[in-house]
Amino acid sequence: MSLLDALPAPRLGRGSYPNVVLVSLSAVMLAAIWGLDAVSMAPNRIVQGTGAGVMEALGWPGALLASLLVLALGALAFRPNPTNYSAALGVVVLILALMPFGLMVAGHFLIDPALPQARLGIGAGYWVVLFVLLLCLIELRLRLALTRLWPMLILAGVGLLWWLCAWLWLGDLALVQEYRARDQQLIRAVGQHVVLVSVAVSISVVLGTLLALLMRRYARLQKGAFAILNFLQTIPSLALFGLLLAPLAWLSANVPVLAKLGVSGIGNTPALIALVAYSLLPMVRNTYIALEEVSADTLEAASAMGMRASQRFWQVRLPLALPVLLEGVRITTVQAIGLTAVAALIGAGGLGTFIFQGLGQAAMDMVLLGALPILILALLVDAALGALAEALRPGGVQ
Amino acid sequence: MTHSATRRSAGGVHVTQDHLWMRPLFWGVLLCICVAGIPYADALFRWLEPDARQVIYQRAPFYALLSRHLLVVGVAAVVTIAVGVAAGIAVTRKRGRDFLPLVAQLASLGQTFPPVAVLALAVPVLGFGTLPIIMALMLYGLLPIVRNTLAGLQEVDADIKMSARAMGMTPAQILYQVELPLAAPVILAGIRTSVTINIATAALGATVGASNLGDPIIAGIINGNMAYVVQGALIIALLALTLDSLFDSMQTRWRQRLSSS
Amino acid sequence: MIELSQVSKRFGDETAVDAISLKVPNGKFCALVGTSGCGKSTTLRMINRLIERSSGDIILDGQAIEAYDPVKLRRRIGYVIQSTGLFPHWTVARNIGLVPRLLKWSAEDVQARVEELMGLLGLPIEEFAHKYPHQLSGGQAQRVGVARALAADPDILLMDEPFGALDPITRVKLQDELAGLQARLHKTVVFVTHDMDEALKLADHLVVMRDGQIVQQGTPLALLQRPKDPFVESLLGGLERGLKQAALSRVKDHMSSLGPTLPSQYRIAADCSLRQALSVMLRDHTDRLTVVDQHDVPIGELSLRRVVKEAQLEKGATRDA
Repeated sequence: MSLLDALPAPRLGRGSYPNVVLVSLSAVMLAAIWGLDAVSMAPNRIVQGTGAGVMEALGWPGALLASLLVLALGALAFRPNPTNYSAALGVVVLILALMPFGLMVAGHFLIDPALPQARLGIGAGYWVVLFVLLLCLIELRLRLALTRLWPMLILAGVGLLWWLCAWLWLGDLALVQEYRARDQQLIRAVGQHVVLVSVAVSISVVLGTLLALLMRRYARLQKGAFAILNFLQTIPSLALFGLLLAPLAWLSANVPVLAKLGVSGIGNTPALIALVAYSLLPMVRNTYIALEEVSADTLEAASAMGMRASQRFWQVRLPLALPVLLEGVRITTVQAIGLTAVAALIGAGGLGTFIFQGLGQAAMDMVLLGALPILILALLVDAALGALAEALRPGGVQ
Repeated sequence: MTHSATRRSAGGVHVTQDHLWMRPLFWGVLLCICVAGIPYADALFRWLEPDARQVIYQRAPFYALLSRHLLVVGVAAVVTIAVGVAAGIAVTRKRGRDFLPLVAQLASLGQTFPPVAVLALAVPVLGFGTLPIIMALMLYGLLPIVRNTLAGLQEVDADIKMSARAMGMTPAQILYQVELPLAAPVILAGIRTSVTINIATAALGATVGASNLGDPIIAGIINGNMAYVVQGALIIALLALTLDSLFDSMQTRWRQRLSSS
Repeated sequence: MIELSQVSKRFGDETAVDAISLKVPNGKFCALVGTSGCGKSTTLRMINRLIERSSGDIILDGQAIEAYDPVKLRRRIGYVIQSTGLFPHWTVARNIGLVPRLLKWSAEDVQARVEELMGLLGLPIEEFAHKYPHQLSGGQAQRVGVARALAADPDILLMDEPFGALDPITRVKLQDELAGLQARLHKTVVFVTHDMDEALKLADHLVVMRDGQIVQQGTPLALLQRPKDPFVESLLGGLERGLKQAALSRVKDHMSSLGPTLPSQYRIAADCSLRQALSVMLRDHTDRLTVVDQHDVPIGELSLRRVVKEAQLEKGATRDA
């Protein structure tokens, strides 16, 4: 995120010339509304759905309303000033809030109540509009110079509304049907995912910090350790999981004690080993750099004032290094969330199960059911740890 | 993310001029040996899977899998480099400046999206097979390149750009003769990250119907045949190491050109 | 000839430069002096259109600067900045040859010009031509910066605190060299600095700026003798103003011929400044010095009374004028 801080502050336009970004984003949305399928419907879970355009899905009043809202957003962007930007933000939130209702309308028009298996899929047009709206949100946050908290609050509110709609009225939606069919399984998978990630990250935080401290003491260790960790990080995840399978399977077959402890070729053990192996590099690197980068002048001043080595470490070096160190934890955790999904391939469970099972069965909604929580989890962790690092930055120093 | 996180060579081993290309060569040769030799290493893999009916992956020859893998990653890389660098340049010019905050924010936010999730989300929209994989790789691989292009261009000292302008260089001359050469190492690091991620993600493409080096691994896991898994994993790992060390050598070379006579 | 009339620059609501007017005749050295943030660098950059002014006119050789294409305009104006702005990925020789190459000189001409300039600035070719900027000391890098600015033989040279980052000894050395170069090349120079001694030493015309406005301008001597307000006076050294003024005059212009009295045993070279002469008098507890030429042959005499009296006369003369 430091990149953005280095950028010139976006100017709040002084009225004369339009905000090209929002205007183009509105144009993209209009094109998506009219050019792409808004929704698709399928008679059952496996059959590929048939697409339906905006007129079919929403009827002309709905299509008109959608287009007008998007046009209003574009029009507001033509005269950029704080008032208009605030209004545009309102429009964006309004569209986001109306989106599930659009799906309800589409369900009402397109789904035959006589077919219990029939389901409504979300079409490319809907996804594109959703994505572009999120871009608008980012743009507006930057122009209005709002803190990161704002989009979080807005998205949380909108998410809650969607959840409510999905729960109460959107029974036709394929995603909802898929969820209802296996909600216990999904909740368990989220739990497994979180546990795997937390265990792997906790282990690598401890190991990584130890390793970084050792490296600072024994300079010779540094080169070799970084070379090995770099090497590990380079190996693709699928390959590393694969390469761990064989020796672990052999170990569990030939060393009964280990097998009793739960070590096996398939499952959590190779997943954890691989996750920790991957997590170590960002962890060690950031910890090492964080501790090394503390200004030599500051440390010299600390010694000159008569601080002992341990006081220097705990009272000066560590607090100053903490934000960068946390940055390492953030990168590690976000990376681990993605990698854990791959671990499902070797039987570690978690949300990846849904993705790969869904792909195997060509059930796209199941894939979505696995992928969306992963995405949300990653974004949440990113935001939370980012905010924590920001808060711990001593005195707001860069 | 801090720059410390975007640069990979915190502990990079110093390589002298003569030995610069030795490591990629070493891994490359090893890769070729594996691709050519595995079909004849029946005895070796039999030891790993004594009970299996066959221990060498037969559905397609390894060189075909390798070339398909390389093709997918290569096509995606060429397109992402062209588009990503162009986008990075465009939003740092006067005309595209308006898009800069959004693009910068998006590029750093995009790092948060796990590649698996992106791949999984691409399938419902794009369908099964090789083309969707390439599309997904392009979408995902774009972000590190854009990000590093922006970072690289922004890192060029403002005084150097100003003095280039003051000497009467045209905007195009400043871009090609000053900004891009100075940003090149950072851009190259972005390309390296992008390609490394793409090699790994392309392997996952085997689960959505692309036939490449991920195939033996997936097939091995499904059939419980460790020999297949090891064969696929070995070749992918060697491919990744070859390309990564190649990039490492290129970066070292560039740094040498920038910093010494 | 550079002529600014009623030139202003506003950044948003802030006025960086406020209606300044200034004339720099051909071959003259004009120094803009002021505290940081007073608009002197902005003024400089408006001349080569790195910054476009908000209002007013800037005329160069009788033509308004917008009549020139900005790129071509900049190629005929040399520009030197404090951080040198040398391209770190190019050798010294390539850096110096930049503008001639932009102007599509032939390779031999560029080569010859680069060698000439490196000679002029005391950078031995075999030692420096193939070095990169990061291998140079601060003083060497700034010599390269000056050489690059002079490469296409521009009539005008803009310098933005060129010696500000150098240590005092190197700074004085480069100032002396710049003065020597200017005496030979007669460029029209606009020089921005916050170091008043540097400005007094180099400038023909001194411009004092504050808050985007010109407080006072004139020859160094005129400003020293009649500072307009306390700000200019403090900038000129307050109570030490007399010494700074003395630094502007040469001993040989104030000496009297050798009289019948016994010459003083304390000697001073004719090329020294009055300030140095005063310093020698203080150090050696004397009020008379024997002036000698470069061969150490006595050619005149300088007395404290005479120095003081002439200062009085000069002051009276400027007051009458």
